[in-house]
Amino acid sequence: MHSLRRLFLFIFSTLILLALSLKIEELRVYQGAQIAIYALGISSIVLLTGYSGQVSLGNGAFMAIGAYTAALTQIHWHLPLFFTFVVGTFSAALAGAILGGGAARLSGPYLAGATLALAVGLPTLANQFTILNGETGLDYTSGTPPTWFGESFTLYKWFFWIVLVNVMLMMFFVRNITSSRYGRTWKALRGNPVAAQLSGIQVGGSKVLAFTISAGVAGLAGSLLGMIGFVGPTGFGLGLSFALVTGAVLSGVTSLAGSMLGAVVLVAIPELASVIAHRLGDTERVTSNLPGLIMSTLLILTVLFTPNGPAEQIRKHKARKQ
Amino acid sequence: MIGSKRKGFGVIITAAIATSALLISAIPAHAEVGVSSSEIKLGITVPQTGPAATGYSKVAPAMKAYFAYVNANGGVNGRKINLIIKDDKYIPQEAINMTNELILKDKVMAIVGALGTANNLAVASKVQIASRGVPSLFVNTGFSGFADKKKFPTTFALFPSYAMEAKAIATYLKENLPTAKTCVLLQNDDFGADAAAGFKTGGVTFTETVKYVSGTQSSATGQTWIGKFAAAKCEVVVLFGVGTANAIALGVAAAGGYKPQWILGSVGSDVTTIKATLNNPQATALMNGAIGASWAPDSADLTDEYVKQFREINTTYNAGAVFDNNVMVGMNEGLLIVQALRAAGTNPTRKSLIAAIEKKGSTFASAGYSTLAYSKTSHVGQTGFWFGKYNLAGELKSVDGKYTMYTTDSAAGPVVKTEQNRLPMPAKGLPSNS
Repeated sequence: MHSLRRLFLFIFSTLILLALSLKIEELRVYQGAQIAIYALGISSIVLLTGYSGQVSLGNGAFMAIGAYTAALTQIHWHLPLFFTFVVGTFSAALAGAILGGGAARLSGPYLAGATLALAVGLPTLANQFTILNGETGLDYTSGTPPTWFGESFTLYKWFFWIVLVNVMLMMFFVRNITSSRYGRTWKALRGNPVAAQLSGIQVGGSKVLAFTISAGVAGLAGSLLGMIGFVGPTGFGLGLSFALVTGAVLSGVTSLAGSMLGAVVLVAIPELASVIAHRLGDTERVTSNLPGLIMSTLLILTVLFTPNGPAEQIRKHKARKQ
Repeated sequence: MIGSKRKGFGVIITAAIATSALLISAIPAHAEVGVSSSEIKLGITVPQTGPAATGYSKVAPAMKAYFAYVNANGGVNGRKINLIIKDDKYIPQEAINMTNELILKDKVMAIVGALGTANNLAVASKVQIASRGVPSLFVNTGFSGFADKKKFPTTFALFPSYAMEAKAIATYLKENLPTAKTCVLLQNDDFGADAAAGFKTGGVTFTETVKYVSGTQSSATGQTWIGKFAAAKCEVVVLFGVGTANAIALGVAAAGGYKPQWILGSVGSDVTTIKATLNNPQATALMNGAIGASWAPDSADLTDEYVKQFREINTTYNAGAVFDNNVMVGMNEGLLIVQALRAAGTNPTRKSLIAAIEKKGSTFASAGYSTLAYSKTSHVGQTGFWFGKYNLAGELKSVDGKYTMYTTDSAAGPVVKTEQNRLPMPAKGLPSNS
């Protein structure tokens, strides 16, 4: 797609979604913001795993770095909100570059293990340094909506607008980079590293670049999640990293467009589980285990029937018809 | 003909006016979110599952049981209370999500008894319940910050703060164990920081202060704490952690033969949690002889009128739950909520509910032995602690049969000693205030 046409499409979709948010009830608007953030988080996995072929179980940790640095710069330096997002993104990217340097030497389960260790270990740092405020976390806020939007423009609509604009900007950047020379380089790397090297691609450098950009994308997602939610160790635990990977698998790990589907599923499952649990009598055992059960079932079904995700399946189906 | 047409027209006009008047009179003057002619919807977020559910999961069902009792006896001014319980797993982001559901989907009138310092702080910041005008009544945390009316204008504390408790313990130590080498176990968060500030204001100096990170308490970390206390030759150890941490400290010390004079904070002295943590029904024996601070009667004190009444309600309405401090806290909060709703008038609104607690809250009956400090300028609830000794069964008993209250504030105010002066339990546990 021509990049100007793509730009127009992104701007048009953003405007439509912003307008839609004015007509939707507040709870759904908040969930919409969550979906947009998860979609961005899943995109960071798609970019890393689907394009460059590196497995990361620790992107939740990059989100934590983004959220904490954004919050700290707001609390201590009083930076305007947008600049806190910039700091969050670049801090996570820097951490990604450092980890990527080591990760370039690892592959497969070893890389998965290293990133998993990061996801497990990093949140516990919040309890080691008083500046990070332990379990209570940091208060990172968007402030109240501008008064000229009127009283009907509620806090959650403000959240959604900030989130959507930032997510769409980053998605546009990601979409462009994956269809650029770098995207093709990563695809070559994923397909056959030896062949890629023989054709003149710098394997190590390309892998580090992929890790850096993926971490930066996750960092922005983390900053946004912290702004609408909780910046604390329980907000960025291992569960978040696993949820992102699950979302990526459900949406098809090579499909950026599919990341939205994975995000919708992540946000919808707890609500779906609560409805079913209510019908089954709300026992503790049902309520606590049902979301995991639904998620696991979906994962198994996805791997069995659409291993590359529904979006990829539809694309193949269309190609066959043609 | 013309005359009959006019007559008919007049009848229609009269009927229309009469119907409109009837309809208008049927509509409450101020229809409020969560309040209908037959029901008042309230919501609570608590850990019902997950590691923190031990003990805490009993609070909300106990509150619901008390409301069921009130509903069976006519409700609040004819309206039944419907309590919607949401499981936040003790995770702040879940608390935000669940509070969103309660306010925006279930449309509750108020949040009641929301549990946990970090959870309540996260909800106040991100859901912005204050700017929405949603009351958050009698939060289940002793963090002193929630009494800040400017910052949390719709939130009301109930428990005396951790800072108040620390000041009371400091005074008790200076009076009763002035020369002993004293040490303390604290949690490394706002809970511990609040307490540390109170101990400092209370003028107590610890030989050894051990801080643990919430969630890391285990036999291994317990060995480290006890090792430090033993090395410092602490004669008195104040365990100001949560129940699981205190239980581990007691268990590890007993196994190692270390026997200081224990002083247990009220947060971490719940018998159910201590037994469950050590997986030993006889674990309460480890508490035997420990000094304890408490703001309310022990749940096993059958001579206490509040305990007796709540136990009766528990037997009939709480599906066979074992009566303990968590159940008592849940029911006591229910008792306060019913009084607040009654005081808010026959057609309660969110605003009238807040105004009622500010105006009449100090006259509400509560199991706590100190009077309530609610006023137009204060959202502080109970303000004092009494001290007793634990027996083999883990029951806190007054040493001299009296309940001398160490009453204070969360700041630099003095600790004042008075005899307990709480109001009597309403007849049959059913408030009749207005």
